[in-house]
Amino acid sequence: MEIILQNSDILIMLGIGFGLFMAWGIGANDVANAMGTSVGSGAITFKQAVVIAIIFEFAGAVLAGGEVTATVRKGILDSGSFVSNPEFLVYGMLASLLAAATWLLIASSLGWPVSTTHSIVGAIVGFGAVGVGVDAVAWGKVYAIIASWVVSPIIAGTLAIVIFKSLQSNIIDTEKPLENAKKYLPFYVFFVGFIISLVTLLKGLKHVESLKHLGKDLPTSMMIATIVGILAAILAAIIIRRIKINPEDDSDFSYANMEKLFGGLMIITACAMAFAHGSNDVANAIGPLAAVYSIVESGGEIVSKSALPSWILLVGGGGIVFGLTTFGYRVMKTIGKSITELTPSRGFAAELAAATTVVFASYTGLPVSTTQVLVGAVLGVGIARGLASLNLRVVNRIFLSWIITLPAGAIMSILFFFTLKGIFGSS
Amino acid sequence: MSNKGNISSLFGKSPISPLQQHMKKVHSCLKEFGVFAKAANAENWEQAQAAQISIAHKEHKADKLKKKLRMNLPSTFMMPFSRRDLLDVLLIQDSIANITKDLAGLMMSRHMVFPKEFAEDFINLTGLCIKTSGAALVAINELDELLETAFSSRQRKIVGQMIKKINELEHETDIAQSEIREKLFALESSLPPIDVMFYYRAIEWLGETADAAQKVGSRFEVMLTK
Repeated sequence: MEIILQNSDILIMLGIGFGLFMAWGIGANDVANAMGTSVGSGAITFKQAVVIAIIFEFAGAVLAGGEVTATVRKGILDSGSFVSNPEFLVYGMLASLLAAATWLLIASSLGWPVSTTHSIVGAIVGFGAVGVGVDAVAWGKVYAIIASWVVSPIIAGTLAIVIFKSLQSNIIDTEKPLENAKKYLPFYVFFVGFIISLVTLLKGLKHVESLKHLGKDLPTSMMIATIVGILAAILAAIIIRRIKINPEDDSDFSYANMEKLFGGLMIITACAMAFAHGSNDVANAIGPLAAVYSIVESGGEIVSKSALPSWILLVGGGGIVFGLTTFGYRVMKTIGKSITELTPSRGFAAELAAATTVVFASYTGLPVSTTQVLVGAVLGVGIARGLASLNLRVVNRIFLSWIITLPAGAIMSILFFFTLKGIFGSS
Repeated sequence: MSNKGNISSLFGKSPISPLQQHMKKVHSCLKEFGVFAKAANAENWEQAQAAQISIAHKEHKADKLKKKLRMNLPSTFMMPFSRRDLLDVLLIQDSIANITKDLAGLMMSRHMVFPKEFAEDFINLTGLCIKTSGAALVAINELDELLETAFSSRQRKIVGQMIKKINELEHETDIAQSEIREKLFALESSLPPIDVMFYYRAIEWLGETADAAQKVGSRFEVMLTK
């Protein structure tokens, strides 16, 4: 207790520093993966992508990120084990942030596909199990999280197949693909706007004090979600109407103009992806920080119910934007240039499937990897014979890095945990 | 930061455009043989020589395209068609250029001039073979549309019609070929025996280009059904 009181300022400062570092890593890595396809299709410029990322990552984190933040903050560990030594939880969360961020930096500079979610979960479990004791980890929750890493890409893949097949039968594989695209695409956008806002209203908003009342009952939520969906559909219709159709383009490839319509809607899928990513991955940086803050503020008491101060969200969002503008833009540019094989119609199907899946995971409070979910969705389109060639070796590599990331994050966080314990001591 | 860590590394290079380019090159090789055959028939050996060099050049380029596509097709790629079928189509396409090159080489080295009784028929057969391979090129060029519709049965039917067209043209080449043989048979005792031998061979090889074009079509159809 005294240790925390004596060092409260420095512990909070460390928390902010490490939290920023972690958020920076997320911005440098993950956001580019989530939005790179939209930049690549030429529908949005890089500057627009950054603006969309700022707005929707924030919105996702604030409006729908509460459940995942709660999981990272207090769901993975059994808080009962820390009552006598609350400073261990502070050290551990600081160590986890530093470990995950450091691992992200190492892995991405080596070109390994690494997930921010896996590194933070590995780090928290690592210090908990080794630094404090095997019982300190809420294993049931950890197994659920690991299961979600397997299930979420599969769900996204299945959803992508369904969306892609319905696009085929309603729009692409018809006599008049262009006309049908104009007619039906707004409905798809409505569907996505509706689902994402409904999920957000039902579960996410309960973490936002001032908006809590909106999500209380199903009819109100349905109504608001319908309005959001209609607004999104109208926006889509306006975008579609503004796209110039050039019949000559269809002489060589008869779907060129239809693809252009899909390309225009990539701006909307980019928003959905940024929102989904914000709702799930921002928690990786702000969850541990929130844990540190609440313990230090309460003077060492582990309070299970305490509101998330908005400045913590700012640290998360600001760090992500910082990472995106300093480093992530380069990744986004590379992705944008090299992802031309994913044509807008396929990108549309994959991103809608991925965004919906991630938002659903946020609803259940499970931290998943946005990149892996997107890979699952892309594979789904591939299985539906929609893509010319997919390099399955990459899937292998992602799986491998998944296995390496967990112990790597764990070992580093254990080291940092004992270092912090050595510096600040224990009561 | 390397490119390997991000999602774009998931996408392999599409084999579709390279396959189409290869067929285009192969077809232009056979088209050049049309020029060669006319020049040879007119006994304009200078022009024939130029055409023959151009044919060899194009065949070489097609070969390079073939090798490049094969090198860029690791077995870890997931494609909407079987890798084996794709490679088969590629090899059959390539055989058109190979036969064409050999045929032009044979006619050039022997300064082969057909008897006027069927010289015109040979030129016509050449035209028919070019048409057949052109029809195969049209079908192969439909591959991006097929991919766009995820190989739907509707789009496959359109390609099915194109393949039917190839088969019809190939059948015409068969008829034309046997007519030339009949004419040659009637003359054969009055011509130098070695020349006759090589006339038969030239007619046979020319017909083989159309056969190969037909095989491209039927193999392509198999490739689409996966």
